[in-house]
Amino acid sequence: MTADKPATAGRLSILSLASSNLFGLAAIVAVFWAIFVSLTPNIASSFSLFAISRSLGIDIVVGFSTMVVLATGGMNLAIGSIGVCAVMFAGYLMQELGVPSPLALLAALMLGAASGWANGVTIVTTGANAFVVTLASASLFFGAMLITTHGTPFEGLPPELADFGRMRWGFVSPMLALALAIGVALAILFHFTALGREILSVGANTRAARMSGVRVGRAIVVAHTLSGLLAAVAGLMTMARLGAAIPAIGRDWLLPSFLAPVLGGTLLSGGAVSIGGTILGALLIATLRAGILTLQVANFWLQLFLGLVLLCSVALDRYRGGYLERKSARVRA
Amino acid sequence: MNTRLLEKEWPALAVAIALGFGFLAATSPAFLTEFNIYVLLRSFCISLLVAFSQMTTLAVGQLNVSIGALGGLVAIVAGGLMEKLGVPIGVALAAGLALGALCGFVNGVLVTRTGIDGFIVTLATASVFDGINLGITKSIPFYKMPAALVAFGTARFHALPYLLIPPVLAAIALAIFLARTSLGRYLLAVGGNPQAAELSGVPRARIIVLAHSLSGFLAAGAALLALAQLGSAQPTIGSDWLILSFAAPIIGGAALGGGYVSVLATALAVVLLTLIQNGLVLEQVDPFWVEFLLGGLILAAVGFDRLRAARAGGG
Amino acid sequence: MNSYPKSAVAAATLFALMALSSGAALASSNKIALMPGGPHPYFAPWEQAAADAKKDFGIGDVQYKVPAEWKLDLQTELMESLATQGYVGFGFFPGDAVGINSTLQELSANGGVSAALAGCAQDPTKAAFCLGTDVYKAAYVGAQALIKAMGGKGRIVHLAGLVIDPNTKLRMAAIEKAVGETNGAVTLVQHITDLDAQEAADQKINALLGAQKDQIDGLIATAYIPSTVAAKALRNLGDKRIKLIGMDDDKIVLDGIRDGFVAGTMAQNAYGQGYIGAYALDLLASGCKVKDDAPFQKTPQTAKFIDSGTVLIQKANVDTYADDLKKVTAEIQGGFKAKFLACK
Repeated sequence: MTADKPATAGRLSILSLASSNLFGLAAIVAVFWAIFVSLTPNIASSFSLFAISRSLGIDIVVGFSTMVVLATGGMNLAIGSIGVCAVMFAGYLMQELGVPSPLALLAALMLGAASGWANGVTIVTTGANAFVVTLASASLFFGAMLITTHGTPFEGLPPELADFGRMRWGFVSPMLALALAIGVALAILFHFTALGREILSVGANTRAARMSGVRVGRAIVVAHTLSGLLAAVAGLMTMARLGAAIPAIGRDWLLPSFLAPVLGGTLLSGGAVSIGGTILGALLIATLRAGILTLQVANFWLQLFLGLVLLCSVALDRYRGGYLERKSARVRA
Repeated sequence: MNTRLLEKEWPALAVAIALGFGFLAATSPAFLTEFNIYVLLRSFCISLLVAFSQMTTLAVGQLNVSIGALGGLVAIVAGGLMEKLGVPIGVALAAGLALGALCGFVNGVLVTRTGIDGFIVTLATASVFDGINLGITKSIPFYKMPAALVAFGTARFHALPYLLIPPVLAAIALAIFLARTSLGRYLLAVGGNPQAAELSGVPRARIIVLAHSLSGFLAAGAALLALAQLGSAQPTIGSDWLILSFAAPIIGGAALGGGYVSVLATALAVVLLTLIQNGLVLEQVDPFWVEFLLGGLILAAVGFDRLRAARAGGG
Repeated sequence: MNSYPKSAVAAATLFALMALSSGAALASSNKIALMPGGPHPYFAPWEQAAADAKKDFGIGDVQYKVPAEWKLDLQTELMESLATQGYVGFGFFPGDAVGINSTLQELSANGGVSAALAGCAQDPTKAAFCLGTDVYKAAYVGAQALIKAMGGKGRIVHLAGLVIDPNTKLRMAAIEKAVGETNGAVTLVQHITDLDAQEAADQKINALLGAQKDQIDGLIATAYIPSTVAAKALRNLGDKRIKLIGMDDDKIVLDGIRDGFVAGTMAQNAYGQGYIGAYALDLLASGCKVKDDAPFQKTPQTAKFIDSGTVLIQKANVDTYADDLKKVTAEIQGGFKAKFLACK
């Protein structure tokens, strides 16, 4: 999933693998799982794992949606609004017009991509800050959805959608597999295609990229289109999970969408993405949430513990990184 | 003269505000009444401090997503001190401001000591602050605020609310601090070019801690104003500050990456946003259209500013 | 109980726990959770209701469980987590009337029982019943009370909660109906929505008063926050001409009624919802079934509605309404088993 070269033999290569952000995150996730499972075995029950894997799948795609615009050094505050527009559009097509579900889903994905494209084009042509443009377009998209649907949910969706939401492969949800598949596709895009590298180069240094012949505008538009598309995917996954198209989908995506990529090592300033890191970042959050819920920490204090544990785990990761750096420096010396 | 004005954000914002003002005055007879101007100004007070709070962290190139949670915590702690422990108003307010600065200080220290991205740190501390808030209150507000405080929250001199005094003082102090003191210039230097700043002897870590402490202090100020204005310590104070806190400084021209902020332009951006909110109620907009028009108006304001920038670039 | 797929692997722990608790002869081993949609002062009485129900009915455990934030995802995650910890009964306020249903279906497939309390889930739903306030009726009765307080004529404004909440639309319709019945004597100036956050509500309601306080004669608030904010705003203005009918019994609103700034408020039976809900869920988890011919009411949201009672609080009963609600609670609870359930 990442660009890491396969480890050859020897102490140094193990160390360099170990010092990578991914290994650290994975280790921390593993430690927390060990702690939680030993405290409350319930968390590893089949139903619990299934439920976690399903929300994880959605969280990962939401994270990807922000990650692809972070790559260019931009941001997209409209992902929640794009997601809910796609959902309500799909719901309308299926319930009111009787469009077959594959066609309706495809149309909803197109709407998501088109919304993202509109964001990108507006940013490039006006030269305005991505933050302000997507802040405004978030209201525009959401408002357009309200005006057209009056916020009425669509619940008469084809049953196969809800079935997909409930489907289990052993103890994992196919939603997680879908998210991982998208991750593979993104990894190919960013590591093996010229377009992906152009997007990253725009984020790393816009001026240098322009000088070396990168079409900066196109790269930004592509990133936003992709972001819109992924937001629509995440919205439709949520729709399948809920078995209905409701206007509340996407309302709370904003901060979590940044958390997973940034935890995983994607830079807010652009130029670097980590697909594996985003997945592990989302996994860490899902683990902490599920673990603290299962531990039954006193009702109202849960937020406090979540914050503290998150701080500790991130600090631990930093400390480990620093420690390994010092150690490997000594080995080399 | 003309191009010099075009180079700044604030004239474009001022024109946009004047247009909005003119439109509302022409279409809604109630708009220019003393009471409505008072209402406008009193919503402006809190938003202004919230925007300044984010602006100080933006100056050093940091994001502070814990502003709202921090404000909520300060409000209920100050409220709890007054209701449950009978602490005098002045002491409780001072304690609230100190707590805000302390929370900001903790944010800053965590960011500089651990080297973790400020976004992650403040997101985590936001959860901590929220958790303490809910743990103390169980989401039930403190109702019995001292009468003098509540009276201050509603007192006005014609159209001017007394609540306007703290934010205006803060604006003047901030403007002087950023433009005229070496510490203030360090703040912008750290945001503009951290390496260069460090090479020229600016204590980068300390400046970042300072910016976060200041941000916490200002957010606490906003929370205490909200406390006085609402007349009770509501645990939900601050819950919808986040977007506004970023939108106002950025519409006012602040760079997300740090190094440039404008007190005047940020204040005007807050005026513009307050005006839009007020106008949407005044014009009796269909509830299903409110959100759409809000987005459209923000986009229009931005487009207006880009027009200016393009003219400035061309001329 | 045996409806889960045989193919499910390693489910032993969960299902063993559930089989144990729901198969036991005594009601006393059931674990019941009372769960609001998020932290909100309205639900505070549920904590006491949970403790009382546990004691009074000898239930294994009744816990008041609050999602950390007002988000549907957090509520469903908390439900799923509680299910894995052996909880079998869920009395919940839906974070979203439609969105909650797929989780309920899963709980039910795993042998859990659920009931919507305070607000309903939208049919078709696996919730056994909805014990709550009939939002349409409450808004309608409130609007009528407002029209009466205004002397049968004037201009009113509706202050409402989240615009995407299906209940908000029901309340809008109810108020429009009450206004329509006055044949033009009363006009509805506008609905103002999304007043669920203190500060936003404060700004919008004051903006409204700033612009039109001389043109409007009545306000009806159909959500908790706007009614406290409107009560406070009218007190600040010193205005007793504009009549306000609020929602729920927050202290600010009650004080407003005592001092004449608020004409009345529609109090819901929060304690009773939690108390009766826990009682009924315990019986359902122990094998009782909802009768096919149970005398449910039909509302736009669900065909299995039980009114938990609403009391219009005005100056006359502001200090005694709690007794009225207690009486209503005892009445519903006493007859519940015979009326709605079939037990072996």
